[in-house]
Amino acid sequence: MLKFIAFFRRFQVFLVFLILQVVALSSYFSVMSFPRTKFFNSANTITGTLLSWERNIIKYLYLDEANQKLQAENVALEKRIPDNFISVDPKTSIINDTINKLVFERIPATVVNSSHTHANNYFTINAGTEKGIEKKMGVVSSDGVVGIVYDVSKHFSIVKSILTSNINISAYVKGSNAHGLIKYETKDPRRVKLTGISNDIIIKKGSKVLARGSGGYFAQGEPIGIIENMQPVEGKPMWDLTVRLNQDMRRLHYVYIIKNIHQEELQTLEKNIQELQ
Amino acid sequence: MNNILTHIIRFIIFVLAQGLIFGQLDFGYGIHPMIYPLFIIMLPFDTRPVVLMALAFLIGIGVDFFMNTFGLHASAAVLIAYIRPSIFTRFAPRDDYDLLKEPTANEWGYAWFIKVALSLFFIHHLWFFTLEYFKWTAWKEIAMSTLLSVVVSVIISVLIQILFFKRSKNI
Repeated sequence: MLKFIAFFRRFQVFLVFLILQVVALSSYFSVMSFPRTKFFNSANTITGTLLSWERNIIKYLYLDEANQKLQAENVALEKRIPDNFISVDPKTSIINDTINKLVFERIPATVVNSSHTHANNYFTINAGTEKGIEKKMGVVSSDGVVGIVYDVSKHFSIVKSILTSNINISAYVKGSNAHGLIKYETKDPRRVKLTGISNDIIIKKGSKVLARGSGGYFAQGEPIGIIENMQPVEGKPMWDLTVRLNQDMRRLHYVYIIKNIHQEELQTLEKNIQELQ
Repeated sequence: MNNILTHIIRFIIFVLAQGLIFGQLDFGYGIHPMIYPLFIIMLPFDTRPVVLMALAFLIGIGVDFFMNTFGLHASAAVLIAYIRPSIFTRFAPRDDYDLLKEPTANEWGYAWFIKVALSLFFIHHLWFFTLEYFKWTAWKEIAMSTLLSVVVSVIISVLIQILFFKRSKNI
């Protein structure tokens, strides 16, 4: 025992170093693998509040741009509902897709903190469980898909941005209907890769890439971007497709969280089939 | 007592400055300026290594709260706190340090400060970016982010030293 204490005293500094490293790194890597910890992130009340204050100060810089966008969005929405059969209240608007009988509800929110230069990017929004946000809901802006909700607290949520290496949003190319997965590989926050499309399928440059709506995160046909560049992958019969995102993630301020009312039904139905997960 | 209070205030200012200002800056080219390691560099010479690492861990977590990095900053900060004593010994002046003075550029000269800051920031950033990318194929991005960020961080640290840490007038 005395020897043990002597040993500990001798290597005290190194042992404390090891313990602190294990605590920090296990937290980091466990969060990278599955969303569990609710501790080291900005959905936390104190930092969330501070970041909201910061946001309140700088939001005036973007008012002009935001107004123009909202105006354009209003025009588009009005075209979609020529007769006011679907009521639109100012807080949430509901899009009824009468052919598929799917109902998507959109909850508006503002981005209070974001990153786009890292290998894995997240952003914080000022809506949480109180507004009905849950984990794994899709998030879009007026221009297209931006991410999936990753963690929620009462007033804030963290969204895994489309600029994350394992985001894997299922998407298809308009015109050819071939579908694959969106992945973020490059350092360029304007572009993502569309993987898993066989190179015997003819794809045109400039065709639109749309969300496929699998998993019920997004409405089918939610825009993502356009195909900017295509090259065959060396040694594989696949296309290497570069997609330019519609939404510039560096200038993301206003988003909508998509609530799929049939999500539970979809999940119970697909639960038993491994291949659909 | 007064001294401890100074360091507590410094701690809060560094976390807020990193979380609200420097963490939000966007330079492109993979540059992420980090200034909170400066807090660890400027703790008194006679801080015990265990206390040094505990404080580094706390400031790291503080920054993690803001940046959604879940413990990555804490890990890098603890690493440089662990290494700090050997770096200080390596660059010690001929007649060793005066423990009463603070480890700032004004007390020990800018050449000394830049040498220490470059070594510690380099280790910190290399550790941080390596863990962030965590694959060998990304070594180009890791190298570029590390080198460019070190340059920017050290320049900002020197500016902070010039602007906020003037030579103490008492004594």
